[in-house]
Amino acid sequence: MAEHVILFAGPMGAGKTTAIESLSEIEVVRTEANNSERHIVDKATTTVALDYGEILIGAQEKVRLYGIPGQQRFDFMWTILKKRAKGMVLLVNSDAPDPIGEMTFFLEEFRELYDRGGVVVGITRSDVMPGPALAEFSDALERTNPGLLIPVFTVDPREADQMQNVLLALIANIEMRAAFGMLATTGAS
Amino acid sequence: MKPAVVDAASTLLAEMKDAASSLTYAALLTDDGFDVARLPGQTDGARFAGMASSMQALGDAVTHELKIGTSEYIIIASGRGHVVQLRVPGKELVLSALFDNDATVGHALATARSFAQKMADLLK
Repeated sequence: MAEHVILFAGPMGAGKTTAIESLSEIEVVRTEANNSERHIVDKATTTVALDYGEILIGAQEKVRLYGIPGQQRFDFMWTILKKRAKGMVLLVNSDAPDPIGEMTFFLEEFRELYDRGGVVVGITRSDVMPGPALAEFSDALERTNPGLLIPVFTVDPREADQMQNVLLALIANIEMRAAFGMLATTGAS
Repeated sequence: MKPAVVDAASTLLAEMKDAASSLTYAALLTDDGFDVARLPGQTDGARFAGMASSMQALGDAVTHELKIGTSEYIIIASGRGHVVQLRVPGKELVLSALFDNDATVGHALATARSFAQKMADLLK
Protein backbone atom coordinates (compact mmCIF):
# COMPACT_ATOMS: atom_id res chain seq x y z
CA MET A 1 0.00 0.00 0.00
CA ALA A 2 1.36 3.40 -0.94
CA GLU A 3 1.62 5.83 1.94
CA HIS A 4 1.84 9.57 2.15
CA VAL A 5 2.81 11.54 5.24
CA ILE A 6 1.33 15.01 5.13
CA LEU A 7 1.96 17.81 7.60
CA PHE A 8 -0.62 20.43 8.51
CA ALA A 9 1.22 23.62 9.40
CA GLY A 10 0.33 27.23 10.05
CA PRO A 11 -0.20 29.63 12.94
CA MET A 12 -2.21 29.01 16.10
CA GLY A 13 -5.91 29.30 15.31
CA ALA A 14 -5.62 28.52 11.58
CA GLY A 15 -7.71 25.33 11.92
CA LYS A 16 -5.10 22.56 11.70
CA THR A 17 -6.64 20.32 14.37
CA THR A 18 -10.13 20.92 12.95
CA ALA A 19 -8.94 20.04 9.44
CA ILE A 20 -7.42 16.75 10.63
CA GLU A 21 -10.60 15.98 12.61
CA SER A 22 -12.63 16.57 9.43
CA LEU A 23 -10.43 14.31 7.31
CA SER A 24 -9.44 11.45 9.60
CA GLU A 25 -11.13 8.09 9.42
CA ILE A 26 -9.63 7.06 12.77
CA GLU A 27 -10.01 8.71 16.16
CA VAL A 28 -7.58 11.61 16.05
CA VAL A 29 -4.68 11.51 18.48
CA ARG A 30 -4.77 14.94 20.08
CA THR A 31 -2.49 16.69 22.53
CA GLU A 32 -4.49 19.66 23.71
CA ALA A 33 -3.81 21.88 26.69
CA ASN A 34 -5.84 24.79 27.98
CA ASN A 35 -4.80 27.91 26.13
CA SER A 36 -3.35 30.63 28.35
CA GLU A 37 -2.94 33.04 25.42
CA ARG A 38 -6.60 33.82 24.92
CA HIS A 39 -5.73 37.48 24.52
CA ILE A 40 -3.89 36.49 21.32
CA VAL A 41 -6.15 33.76 19.92
CA ASP A 42 -9.48 33.31 21.65
CA LYS A 43 -9.91 29.55 21.77
CA ALA A 44 -10.17 27.26 24.76
CA THR A 45 -7.43 24.76 23.97
CA THR A 46 -4.33 24.52 21.85
CA THR A 47 -2.18 21.70 20.43
CA VAL A 48 1.09 21.32 22.35
CA ALA A 49 2.74 18.34 20.65
CA LEU A 50 0.94 16.99 17.59
CA ASP A 51 -2.31 15.81 16.07
CA TYR A 52 -2.43 12.54 14.19
CA GLY A 53 -5.07 11.11 11.88
CA GLU A 54 -5.34 8.77 8.91
CA ILE A 55 -7.39 8.64 5.72
CA LEU A 56 -7.48 6.23 2.81
CA ILE A 57 -7.47 7.78 -0.64
CA GLY A 58 -8.96 5.26 -3.05
CA ALA A 59 -8.40 1.72 -1.83
CA GLN A 60 -4.65 1.76 -1.86
CA GLU A 61 -3.20 4.98 -0.57
CA LYS A 62 -3.06 5.61 3.15
CA VAL A 63 -2.42 9.21 4.08
CA ARG A 64 -1.02 9.90 7.53
CA LEU A 65 -1.97 13.37 8.71
CA TYR A 66 0.21 15.14 11.27
CA GLY A 67 -0.62 18.54 12.71
CA ILE A 68 2.01 20.77 14.29
CA PRO A 69 1.56 23.14 17.23
CA GLY A 70 1.38 26.61 15.66
CA GLN A 71 3.36 28.57 18.25
CA GLN A 72 7.06 29.07 17.70
CA ARG A 73 7.92 27.93 21.23
CA PHE A 74 7.10 24.42 19.98
CA ASP A 75 9.48 24.60 17.03
CA PHE A 76 11.35 21.53 18.32
CA MET A 77 8.19 19.59 17.34
CA TRP A 78 8.38 21.19 13.88
CA THR A 79 11.89 19.77 13.49
CA ILE A 80 10.73 16.30 14.57
CA LEU A 81 7.62 16.25 12.41
CA LYS A 82 9.01 17.78 9.25
CA LYS A 83 11.57 14.98 8.96
CA ARG A 84 8.88 12.40 8.33
CA ALA A 85 6.59 14.34 5.99
CA LYS A 86 6.52 14.47 2.21
CA GLY A 87 4.08 17.30 1.74
CA MET A 88 2.34 20.11 3.56
CA VAL A 89 -1.07 21.69 3.81
CA LEU A 90 -0.27 25.20 4.99
CA LEU A 91 -3.33 26.74 6.64
CA VAL A 92 -3.41 30.47 7.34
CA ASN A 93 -6.31 32.23 9.01
CA SER A 94 -7.43 35.30 7.14
CA ASP A 95 -8.14 37.15 10.38
CA ALA A 96 -4.54 36.87 11.66
CA PRO A 97 -2.80 40.24 12.08
CA ASP A 98 -0.51 39.53 9.10
CA PRO A 99 -1.77 36.47 7.20
CA ILE A 100 0.57 36.94 4.22
CA GLY A 101 3.55 37.28 6.57
CA GLU A 102 2.43 34.08 8.37
CA MET A 103 2.22 32.23 5.05
CA THR A 104 5.69 33.23 3.93
CA PHE A 105 7.13 32.53 7.41
CA PHE A 106 5.78 28.97 7.55
CA LEU A 107 6.71 28.30 3.95
CA GLU A 108 10.27 29.30 4.70
CA GLU A 109 10.34 27.17 7.88
CA PHE A 110 9.00 24.11 6.05
CA ARG A 111 10.51 24.77 2.63
CA GLU A 112 12.13 21.30 2.53
CA LEU A 113 8.64 19.78 2.26
CA TYR A 114 8.13 21.60 -1.02
CA ASP A 115 11.46 20.38 -2.29
CA ARG A 116 10.69 16.79 -1.24
CA GLY A 117 7.00 16.67 -2.14
CA GLY A 118 4.66 19.60 -2.43
CA VAL A 119 2.71 22.31 -0.67
CA VAL A 120 -0.79 23.70 -0.93
CA VAL A 121 -2.00 26.78 0.93
CA GLY A 122 -5.48 26.95 2.46
CA ILE A 123 -6.82 30.32 3.59
CA THR A 124 -9.27 29.85 6.46
CA ARG A 125 -11.75 32.07 8.29
CA SER A 126 -12.15 34.40 5.30
CA ASP A 127 -15.88 34.23 6.06
CA VAL A 128 -15.17 35.68 9.54
CA MET A 129 -13.04 38.55 8.39
CA PRO A 130 -12.28 39.34 4.76
CA GLY A 131 -8.50 39.57 4.81
CA PRO A 132 -6.28 39.87 1.75
CA ALA A 133 -7.75 38.55 -1.52
CA LEU A 134 -6.60 35.16 -2.79
CA ALA A 135 -4.62 36.88 -5.54
CA GLU A 136 -2.64 38.78 -2.92
CA PHE A 137 -1.50 35.49 -1.34
CA SER A 138 -0.53 34.13 -4.78
CA ASP A 139 1.29 37.35 -5.67
CA ALA A 140 3.18 37.25 -2.36
CA LEU A 141 4.19 33.64 -3.05
CA GLU A 142 5.43 34.55 -6.52
CA ARG A 143 7.32 37.53 -5.15
CA THR A 144 8.99 35.66 -2.27
CA ASN A 145 9.36 32.24 -3.91
CA PRO A 146 9.33 32.79 -7.66
CA GLY A 147 8.57 29.76 -9.78
CA LEU A 148 7.13 27.52 -7.05
CA LEU A 149 4.00 25.55 -7.98
CA ILE A 150 1.84 26.15 -4.90
CA PRO A 151 -1.95 26.18 -5.31
CA VAL A 152 -3.85 28.53 -3.01
CA PHE A 153 -7.43 27.84 -1.91
CA THR A 154 -9.92 29.32 0.45
CA VAL A 155 -11.16 26.53 2.66
CA ASP A 156 -13.34 25.83 5.68
CA PRO A 157 -11.49 23.26 7.84
CA ARG A 158 -14.80 22.10 9.33
CA GLU A 159 -15.97 20.88 5.91
CA ALA A 160 -14.66 17.40 5.08
CA ASP A 161 -15.43 17.78 1.35
CA GLN A 162 -13.42 20.96 1.10
CA MET A 163 -10.50 19.49 3.03
CA GLN A 164 -10.53 16.39 0.85
CA ASN A 165 -10.28 18.58 -2.25
CA VAL A 166 -7.28 20.35 -0.74
CA LEU A 167 -5.65 17.06 0.19
CA LEU A 168 -6.26 15.54 -3.25
CA ALA A 169 -4.85 18.66 -4.89
CA LEU A 170 -1.73 18.28 -2.77
CA ILE A 171 -1.30 14.59 -3.58
CA ALA A 172 -1.85 15.25 -7.30
CA ASN A 173 0.72 18.05 -7.07
CA ILE A 174 3.25 15.75 -5.36
CA GLU A 175 2.71 12.92 -7.83
CA MET A 176 2.86 15.24 -10.83
CA ARG A 177 6.11 16.79 -9.68
CA ALA A 178 7.53 13.33 -8.87
CA ALA A 179 6.54 12.07 -12.34
CA PHE A 180 8.34 14.98 -13.97
CA GLY A 181 11.43 14.49 -11.82
CA MET A 182 10.97 17.84 -10.08
CA LEU A 183 11.53 16.62 -6.50
CA ALA A 184 14.74 16.99 -4.54
CA THR A 185 14.64 13.31 -3.61
CA THR A 186 12.81 10.55 -5.43
CA GLY A 187 9.98 8.47 -4.03
CA ALA A 188 7.36 10.82 -2.69
CA SER A 189 5.99 7.60 -1.19
CA MET B 1 0.36 34.05 35.30
CA LYS B 2 -0.50 35.62 38.66
CA PRO B 3 2.56 36.95 40.55
CA ALA B 4 1.46 34.97 43.64
CA VAL B 5 1.71 31.73 41.68
CA VAL B 6 5.13 32.66 40.30
CA ASP B 7 6.34 33.52 43.82
CA ALA B 8 4.97 30.26 45.25
CA ALA B 9 6.58 28.29 42.42
CA SER B 10 9.97 29.96 42.92
CA THR B 11 9.87 29.36 46.68
CA LEU B 12 8.88 25.75 46.19
CA LEU B 13 11.72 25.04 43.73
CA ALA B 14 14.25 26.60 46.12
CA GLU B 15 12.94 24.39 48.96
CA MET B 16 13.13 21.37 46.67
CA LYS B 17 16.77 22.11 45.90
CA ASP B 18 17.53 22.39 49.64
CA ALA B 19 15.78 19.08 50.29
CA ALA B 20 17.45 17.10 47.50
CA SER B 21 21.14 17.71 46.76
CA SER B 22 20.87 15.44 43.70
CA LEU B 23 18.43 17.87 42.08
CA THR B 24 20.27 19.67 39.29
CA TYR B 25 17.43 21.44 37.49
CA ALA B 26 13.71 21.89 37.98
CA ALA B 27 10.95 23.89 36.36
CA LEU B 28 7.29 24.55 36.88
CA LEU B 29 5.39 25.23 33.67
CA THR B 30 1.85 25.55 32.39
CA ASP B 31 0.10 22.75 30.52
CA ASP B 32 0.46 24.79 27.34
CA GLY B 33 4.20 25.21 27.68
CA PHE B 34 4.89 28.49 29.47
CA ASP B 35 7.68 28.74 31.98
CA VAL B 36 6.35 29.74 35.44
CA ALA B 37 9.54 29.35 37.50
CA ARG B 38 12.78 27.46 37.26
CA LEU B 39 16.01 26.84 39.11
CA PRO B 40 19.05 28.50 37.56
CA GLY B 41 20.63 26.27 34.95
CA GLN B 42 22.27 26.20 31.57
CA THR B 43 19.02 25.17 29.91
CA ASP B 44 16.90 27.60 27.90
CA GLY B 45 13.93 27.66 30.29
CA ALA B 46 11.38 28.81 27.73
CA ARG B 47 12.35 26.09 25.30
CA PHE B 48 12.43 23.43 28.01
CA ALA B 49 8.93 24.46 29.18
CA GLY B 50 7.60 23.88 25.66
CA MET B 51 9.29 20.47 25.44
CA ALA B 52 8.09 19.37 28.88
CA SER B 53 4.48 20.33 28.07
CA SER B 54 4.63 18.40 24.77
CA MET B 55 5.97 15.37 26.62
CA GLN B 56 3.20 15.64 29.22
CA ALA B 57 0.53 15.79 26.51
CA LEU B 58 2.08 12.87 24.61
CA GLY B 59 2.07 10.85 27.85
CA ASP B 60 -1.63 11.61 28.24
CA ALA B 61 -2.26 10.67 24.58
CA VAL B 62 -0.49 7.32 25.06
CA THR B 63 -2.41 6.40 28.21
CA HIS B 64 -5.62 7.36 26.43
CA GLU B 65 -4.71 5.24 23.40
CA LEU B 66 -3.86 2.22 25.58
CA LYS B 67 -6.91 2.81 27.79
CA ILE B 68 -4.93 2.77 31.03
CA GLY B 69 -6.39 5.85 32.67
CA THR B 70 -4.31 8.99 33.01
CA SER B 71 -0.57 9.48 33.06
CA GLU B 72 0.72 9.82 36.64
CA TYR B 73 4.33 10.58 35.89
CA ILE B 74 6.94 10.40 33.16
CA ILE B 75 10.55 9.33 33.63
CA ILE B 76 13.40 9.75 31.19
CA ALA B 77 16.47 7.86 32.32
CA SER B 78 19.91 8.57 30.92
CA GLY B 79 23.47 7.70 31.83
CA ARG B 80 23.94 11.09 33.50
CA GLY B 81 20.69 11.58 35.32
CA HIS B 82 16.96 11.19 35.17
CA VAL B 83 14.10 13.50 34.47
CA VAL B 84 10.97 13.00 36.55
CA GLN B 85 7.87 14.88 35.52
CA LEU B 86 4.34 15.02 36.81
CA ARG B 87 1.32 17.29 36.95
CA VAL B 88 0.64 19.35 40.07
CA PRO B 89 -2.51 17.62 41.37
CA GLY B 90 -5.67 19.47 40.35
CA LYS B 91 -3.78 22.27 38.56
CA GLU B 92 -2.82 23.06 34.99
CA LEU B 93 0.81 23.03 36.04
CA VAL B 94 3.61 20.53 35.48
CA LEU B 95 6.69 19.96 37.62
CA SER B 96 9.70 18.67 35.71
CA ALA B 97 12.88 17.86 37.62
CA LEU B 98 16.31 16.60 36.65
CA PHE B 99 18.23 14.55 39.23
CA ASP B 100 21.79 13.31 38.93
CA ASN B 101 22.55 9.65 39.37
CA ASP B 102 23.31 10.06 43.09
CA ALA B 103 19.54 9.76 43.53
CA THR B 104 17.77 6.51 42.72
CA VAL B 105 14.80 6.80 40.41
CA GLY B 106 12.56 5.89 43.36
CA HIS B 107 14.00 8.64 45.54
CA ALA B 108 13.72 11.18 42.70
CA LEU B 109 10.11 10.21 42.07
CA ALA B 110 9.22 10.42 45.77
CA THR B 111 10.79 13.89 46.00
CA ALA B 112 9.04 15.15 42.87
CA ARG B 113 5.68 13.77 44.03
CA SER B 114 6.02 15.33 47.43
CA PHE B 115 6.83 18.79 46.01
CA ALA B 116 4.10 18.60 43.36
CA GLN B 117 1.64 18.01 46.21
CA LYS B 118 3.15 20.90 48.19
CA MET B 119 2.64 23.17 45.19
CA ALA B 120 -1.00 22.08 44.97
CA ASP B 121 -1.42 22.81 48.70
CA LEU B 122 0.18 26.24 48.32
CA LEU B 123 -2.29 27.15 45.58
CA LYS B 124 -5.40 26.08 47.48
